[in-house]
Amino acid sequence: MHHRLLLRRRGAMPLPSPPQPAPRTPGVAGGRLFASLPSPPPLQSRREVHVWYLCPDELNDHSQLDMYKELLSPSERKNALAMNGPRLQKDAMLSRALLRTTLSRYTDAKIDPRSFEFKKNKFGKPEILWQSDGSSMEWPLHFNISHTSSLIACGIAMDTLIGIDVEEKKRKTVKNILSLARRYFTPSEVDYLAKISDSDAQQKEFIKLWTLKEAYVKALGRGFSGAPFNRFSNQLETNNRIQISKAAKVCNDSDSGCDYLSENWRFALAGLNSSYYMAVCIEDNSRGSENGSVPLGLKVWKTIPFIEDTLVSGTDAVKLIT
Amino acid sequence: MASVAGSALSFARPVKATNTNSISLTSARKGNAFLRMQPVPMRFAVCCTAKKETVDKVCDIVKKQLAVPEDIEVSGASKFSDLGADSLDTVEIVMGLEEEFKISVEESSAQSIATVEDAAALIDRLVAAKSSEKPSGKPLE
Repeated sequence: MHHRLLLRRRGAMPLPSPPQPAPRTPGVAGGRLFASLPSPPPLQSRREVHVWYLCPDELNDHSQLDMYKELLSPSERKNALAMNGPRLQKDAMLSRALLRTTLSRYTDAKIDPRSFEFKKNKFGKPEILWQSDGSSMEWPLHFNISHTSSLIACGIAMDTLIGIDVEEKKRKTVKNILSLARRYFTPSEVDYLAKISDSDAQQKEFIKLWTLKEAYVKALGRGFSGAPFNRFSNQLETNNRIQISKAAKVCNDSDSGCDYLSENWRFALAGLNSSYYMAVCIEDNSRGSENGSVPLGLKVWKTIPFIEDTLVSGTDAVKLIT
Repeated sequence: MASVAGSALSFARPVKATNTNSISLTSARKGNAFLRMQPVPMRFAVCCTAKKETVDKVCDIVKKQLAVPEDIEVSGASKFSDLGADSLDTVEIVMGLEEEFKISVEESSAQSIATVEDAAALIDRLVAAKSSEKPSGKPLE
């Protein structure tokens, strides 16, 4: 095995080798891999979201990449190879490796990253498939993944639906911002953007709105046409709360397309590494018993799985906008 | 900028034709919440082969939007999910196609598109429908 890669860094805790299901790929020492995935602090409540991200451009060591490839299921490997070109293939592979290693962290190291199986809900949103034979434990973990060309993020929540979207702040659209907004956003959002005279600032606000809407749609898990962007508004209010509301004109006539656009969701929007906006959305189960929403608790780690984890929330790297 | 799709919006995974009367879609690519699991009503089914010039135009728009490197081929058979289009890319591509062909693409029609060829076939249909639309100017789709 690649001993030199399994370094123990500051903060990594050695763990005893737990009993584990037989690895899917014989020959890989599962126990040693486990020892390098330290358990993070647990998710304290339904209001807490943990995000783990990696930067594909920084991961170029072939033996490291092979190690990650070993974690994938045969169909995941096949899907990754179907991508157009080596860069997209690598990103697809890393995305699955990130998901599997992240989930494993939240099972008290009891589930090998390779062991997870997944299913799709009826709209195609991926979920964990737990074995129903009662032999293994279950954790009420929900996840969602987002990619940009330079960063892949995996959001984890407990017992609640989650959506996450990350976007480069400076991402240039081919189309003009206002035409995109007019085509896809609500009238109130178009007005909001139209009032911004500086084009850089306008572009940034567009990206912020985009990530918020995207995170919501992904949390809902119904797909883009299941929750068209122009049926709901995300308002960045002056008190920095994000309010989601159904677009009045479109949703008032009994448009069944709006029925399931619920408004009980919590958002967080943050700047990440001064290059990205990240929006996270989780379902708000508090039933309005609190005065105003208690903000979503967000923790963010940068990871090189099995090598190093760095907590970046609470530093300048993560700047909460809401 | 091209990126691996991990987003709510994208085109469908390849369509598997089970019989001539119904087409069901295979599952969504990971991280894309785009609706693709339900059987597609026949009127949205992609049936005919697209015109070559339409396919070529779609390839151009896609290549430009996704900044596809020169050495990577984009053809009629190219699957959108494999080209790394994220949701913002996808909506820009759809808008680009609408502008180029002077058509309007409904979200639900876009769902059934898996390949460049599918997009071209849909465009050909919408363009044909438009040229035979009623005098009131109301588009047929």
